[in-house]
Formats: sequence, structure tokens, C-alpha cells
Amino acid sequence: MNIVVCVKYVPDATADRHFEADNTVDRVGVDGLLSELDEYAVEQALQLKEKGDGTDEITVLTVGPEQASDAIRKALQMGADKGVHVVDDAIAGSDSLATSLVLAEAIKKIDHDFVVCGMASTDGAMSVVPAMLAERLGVPQVTFGSQIEMQGKEIRIRRDGDAATEVIGATAPFVLSVTDQSGEARYPSFKGIMAAKKKPVETWSLADLGVEAEKVGLSASWTQVEDTAARPPRSQGEIVTDEDGSGATALAGFLASKKFI
Amino acid sequence: MSAETDTTVPFTEADERRSLRREVAKLASGYGREYFVRQARNGEKTTDLWLDMGKHGYLGVALPEEYGGGGGGIGDLAAVCEELAAQGCPLLMMVVSPAICGTVISRFGTEEQKARWLPSIADGTLTMAFAITEPDAGSNSHDITTTARRDGDGWVLRGRKIYISGVDEAGAVLVVARTEDARTGRLKPALFVVPTDAEGLEYQPIDMEIVSPERQFTLFVDDVRLPADALVGDENAGIAQLFAGLNPERIMAAAFATGIGRFALDKATEYVKGREVFGAPIGAHQGVAHPLAQSKIEIELARLMTQKAAALYDAGDDTGAGEAANMAKYAAGEAACAAADRAVQVHGGNGITTEYGMAGLLVAARATRIAPVSREMILNFVGSHSLGLPKSY
Ligand SMILES: Cc1cc2nc3c(=O)[nH]c(=O)nc-3n(C[C@H](O)[C@H](O)[C@H](O)COP(=O)(O)OP(=O)(O)OC[C@H]3O[C@@H](n4cnc5c(N)ncnc54)[C@H](O)[C@@H]3O)c2cc1C
Ligand SMILES: Cc1cc2nc3c(=O)[nH]c(=O)nc-3n(C[C@H](O)[C@H](O)[C@H](O)COP(=O)(O)OP(=O)(O)OC[C@H]3O[C@@H](n4cnc5c(N)ncnc54)[C@H](O)[C@@H]3O)c2cc1C
Repeated sequence: MNIVVCVKYVPDATADRHFEADNTVDRVGVDGLLSELDEYAVEQALQLKEKGDGTDEITVLTVGPEQASDAIRKALQMGADKGVHVVDDAIAGSDSLATSLVLAEAIKKIDHDFVVCGMASTDGAMSVVPAMLAERLGVPQVTFGSQIEMQGKEIRIRRDGDAATEVIGATAPFVLSVTDQSGEARYPSFKGIMAAKKKPVETWSLADLGVEAEKVGLSASWTQVEDTAARPPRSQGEIVTDEDGSGATALAGFLASKKFI
Repeated sequence: MSAETDTTVPFTEADERRSLRREVAKLASGYGREYFVRQARNGEKTTDLWLDMGKHGYLGVALPEEYGGGGGGIGDLAAVCEELAAQGCPLLMMVVSPAICGTVISRFGTEEQKARWLPSIADGTLTMAFAITEPDAGSNSHDITTTARRDGDGWVLRGRKIYISGVDEAGAVLVVARTEDARTGRLKPALFVVPTDAEGLEYQPIDMEIVSPERQFTLFVDDVRLPADALVGDENAGIAQLFAGLNPERIMAAAFATGIGRFALDKATEYVKGREVFGAPIGAHQGVAHPLAQSKIEIELARLMTQKAAALYDAGDDTGAGEAANMAKYAAGEAACAAADRAVQVHGGNGITTEYGMAGLLVAARATRIAPVSREMILNFVGSHSLGLPKSY
């Protein structure tokens, strides 16, 4: 089975993150990396491949700026076979609808049986792209898989819900998203790092995909970011000390003032 | 890594090297300083970190691929060593096992010796200690007296070694001894692999003030009988082989020291940003900022020289690498000591507390000025070799 893994290049969450003047995320002036949640998607694809007959091919796909090739490289170092990078200035500022359009058109051009995504990006974090992809590709979706297993031609996916755990059987084609519970993502070995250098990476533009520039980008996006503000610094919490039995009243008063009770 | 900085200009490392650094740093940060100190204080080892590094091929990066290594260079191994130290986990045995012993065996060992030792050095399931220092010879390694005498097919080894790191964790020790030249009767150095469980080999820990899970030992080699294949390389080319292991040793020691320096500087920087007295973070005072900025510069310069030495060594230029490796080792030791000292100072009273753990770095950094070759011996080398000055000894 050939697998496409969608991986997103995101600003490093441990560094300072900024917005541009047009309220889009600054993706150029900051260090970025492969979204950590997408490492799980790569890991699951690799595990499926390792348990397979060895003929499977894993293609990692990213839509993002020039530097997003870093995310592809990391996935190749982990063990994926080849990469596709869709990069085009016109894509900048795309929302999830536009992003999913570009991803879907790219996926159609890649020989594949099914698609694996992360559960959410660590920057946008909307968790909607996998569903949009399934819709655009006209295939079923299984989201939030926490355990993946191949049984013959069928893939069995465990979904842990609040009330129940479901096990879903699916046959390709489909779009799958996996959670961070699906199994620790591997570190690239030194050999993996060196081997990645020789793995093929194709770079596609919107024209290569036959997507019109007007359909993507900031102006075509359905969502508009009006304003952004930095998270206010954490203020020191209020400590209620109980010396004379008035603590409970003070605590209740505090909770009431914050409309918790 | 942005595309703009991706051009292959000299003075920057290749993408793969930078990826390696990033992955090692991430893996090591999962263990972190707390783990390292806890293991040291409880008398435990860092075996799980070591094996984790081995499993990912990070210990064996510089060893040949056909023997389980990664086929990279000493520059890659130095990057691994530095990143570990920069995360607060300086692993001294990296300098010894894969760098000195691994290099000597892979360059001069027989097929059998390589097949026997290298794969397990590469994956970390065996570590090999290295013993050259002797109580009476010290820095003057020409004066070592541990001798190897022919005994039928094999050898009998006798002598004493001191400050040998990690013998308790090692499966074998690469011992520098001397053999008698059959023609001239003069003694010349030769290298022997001695299993740590060999009969007649005993070792005792030396109490050291370094906070480290890796310890130093006195080694008593009391007529240890060895088979013929314990001798690594040519009995008559021992000196050249010994020197082949010394460049990697110095490059690794430099990387180890710059890593410690980076760790100290990171801690200091973080602290001075947060600590406020006189109404401003103390890092705003130039009296605090400048020494740290100085350390940043000194560490970067030492790193650059370390990378140059590694690049020369990996390109096969042993002579060029020799001078650069010595200079890198010198600069790195000085930079590490200064950084540790300044890091303690900017912490004020906290610099001496166990909680902040900064004072312990002083000794660790200090050791990099002494071992594996002291700063004075490097200055001697640069004086006589680079400047052509006469020698006093
Ligand atoms: C309030 C808000 C403001 C935003 N502002 C901006 C902005 O200014 N500029 C900007 O560029 N973006 C912005 N975005 C983000 C942008 O809309 C989304 O990043 C993008 O369309 C994908 O959605 P997501 O990140 O939420 O992905 P999710 O739906 O959370 O991602 C799920 C999975 O889809 C896959 N995936 C998602 N994106 C990609 C990709 N690009 N390539 C490959 N695989 C992918 C991954 O497998 C991922 O794990 C904003 C989002 C929000 C919510
Ligand atoms: C933490 C640690 C780990 C070690 N691990 C190992 C190991 O694994 N294997 C191993 O073989 N050894 C190891 N050593 C030993 C180390 O290599 C020696 O300590 C070092 O080479 C110095 O030798 P010495 O201690 O005998 O000092 P000495 O030679 O006695 O020197 C004492 C001082 O005199 C100075 N001095 C000596 N001669 C001259 C001169 N001609 N000109 C100017 N100054 C001079 C020296 O620079 C030094 O400052 C380790 C040491 C330490 C501290």
C-alpha cells in the first residue's frame, strides 16, 4: 500500500511567535519545524510499512513556504521514501479550506492508497483539514485514530472517545488522522539523516496542480483574522489562607466573582 | 534551517550535521541535567542514555558502516558529544570509547578485531576505556613503564595506570604499554585490548570532586596474560597508531568542553533575564551582560576551531588536524572554565546552592583544562611546533 502523509511546517512553539502586519502568522522570520503532532502520522505510516511486504512507498506532502522543506526533510530522515513540497507565493495566507484544496489536488497526482494526517496542527490547531481532504477526494474519513493495525487488506483503527472506544475497519481509499496516543514518534537515526539527503523531493507550484491562484491565498480565504493580541502575562494567583474559618466564604466569594458559581 | 543560510559556504555545517545536532539535543533533553546529576549522586550510571544514543546510531556515527557504524566523520561524533554536554549530560566515555578506541581499532585493527569490537562500540553495548596515564610518567607519556613481554604466542602485561575513566562500565580497556625492540632493545609503545575481567587486572575507584556518573580508576595490571590478537596494529608502528587516536581525542575533548560551556551560559542567561534587583533584570547591567557576551564569543570561537580540526581530520590531513585540534582543545577548556565561573557569579548565592547545581560545573569545566592533555602541554606544543621555539625538556 502506498501512503501519503500530510505534514505541516509550523513555527517552533518554544520560540517567540509573531504575526505579520496583515494578521497572518510570520512563517519566514522564525525557526520552524515539522509539527510535532504530524510526527505521529509519519510514525504510524512507517510502522505500517515496516509490517508490510516492503513494497509500500511513503510520500510526505507539505504545503508551505520555502523553508517548509525542513519538515519534509525531517520526515524523510525518520524513514519516509520521498517528498512533495507545494510552494507558491499565491498560497500565503490560505485558510484551511484553501489549504485543503491545494493538498487534495497534490494528493490526486501522487500514486497512493490512503492518506494519513496528524490530529491537528500545532499552530492553527483547527483539526479540520483531514475531514476537508476526505470530502474533496470523495473518500471516507477516520479521524483521531489512537491505534492502527493492518489486517489483510483491511486497516483497523481504534478511536478512544469519552464514553466508548470504537474499533473501525476500513479499506483503502480513505483519509486517516492519528492522535499523539498512537505511539511515540521515532528519532531519526544517523543513517536515516544521511540517507534522507539522497531521497527525491519534488517541488510543485499551483500551476503544476492546475489550481487557479484566485482560489487560494489570503483574499480567497473564507476566514478573516480581524485582530490579534498577545496572551496577557499570567498574573499571580490569589491565595486564600484559612486561619479563622472564613476561608470557605472567601473562596466561594472569589469563585462567584469570576462567575464560576 | 532557512533556505537562505543553506548555501554551502565554509564555516557553516552541512544540513545533515545540523539535523544530527538537533535530534541529539532533543533526545538528550528528555534525560536532561536533573537525570545526570541524580544518577551521579546516587552512584548510578547513565547506561540507559548511552544505549539510547547507541540505538539511534549516534555513538557509532564515525565508525565504518560495515562494522555497524554510520560511516560519518569525527565532526559528526564531536557534534553528538557537544550536544549531549550542552543539555547537561556530558558523557566522558564518548571521548574514549567510540573516538579513541573506535578510531584506533578501525584504522589499525585486523578484520577479526574490527568485527569483534566495533559493532558493540557503535551500538553502545560495550564501552572500551583507554589507559595511557601512569602515576610516575604523568604528562610525559614517553616515560610510561607498563610493559608487554612476549610469552609464547601471546603477551604478558605488567604496570599501573591512573585516572582511567569508566573502567567499571567498560568491557575492555585499550592499554598503552611498551614492548622491547628485538633489535635495539629499546622500548616502544604498543596498544593492547585487555578485557576488564582478565585475570590479574584490578581497579580501584579514585574519589573525585566531579559530579559525574562516570568515575576514574587506578588500574593494576599484574602479569595479565593476553592472546596474540590482543595487540592492535603493528608492534613496530605503535607511536603512529597512538597519535592517530589522539587527534580525535582532542577534538572530542574540545566538543565536550564547549558543550559544558554552552550549558553553563544557557543557565546563566536564563537566570539573569528573570532575576530582578534594583528594579530591573540583572542582565540589563553591563557588568553582568558583558562577561556573558564574552563567553558567548569565546565559546563560538572554540567551536569554530573544533569544527575546523574535525574537517581537516575527516579530510585525511592528520598533520593539519593536529595543530588545530590542540588549539581547539586549549580554547575550549579556557572558554568552558570562564563560562562556568561567570555562570556561578551571576547566580549570586544561588550559584553555590545544590538546587541550582552551578558550582559543580566549575570542577567539570576545570577538568577539561587538565585532561586528556593539559593546557600547558598544548602551549608547549604550540611553542615548539607552531612557533619553532626551543624546548626546555
Ligand atoms: C484564527 C486563525 C488564524 C490563522 N491565521 C493564519 C495566517 O495568518 N496565516 C497562515 O498561513 N495560516 C493561518 N491560519 C492557519 C490556517 O488556516 C491553517 O493553518 C491551515 O489552513 C491548516 O489548518 P490547521 O493548521 O488548523 O490544520 P489542522 O486541520 O489542525 O491540521 C490537521 C492535519 O492536516 C494536515 N495539514 C494541515 N495543514 C497542512 C499543510 N499546510 N501541509 C500539509 N499538511 C497539512 C496535517 O496532517 C495536520 O496534522 C490561521 C488559523 C486560525 C484558526
Ligand atoms: C577527569 C579525568 C579523566 C581522565 N581520564 C583518563 C583516561 O580515561 N585515560 C587516561 O589515560 N588518562 C585519563 N586522565 C588523566 C589525564 O590525561 C592526566 O591527568 C593529564 O594528562 C595530566 O597528567 P598528570 O595528571 O599526571 O599531571 P602532571 O603531568 O603531573 O602535570 C601536573 C601539572 O604540571 C604541568 N606540567 C607538567 N609538565 C610540564 C611541562 N613540561 N611544561 C609545563 N607544564 C608542565 C601540567 O600541565 C599540569 O598542570 C584523566 C584525568 C582526569 C582529570
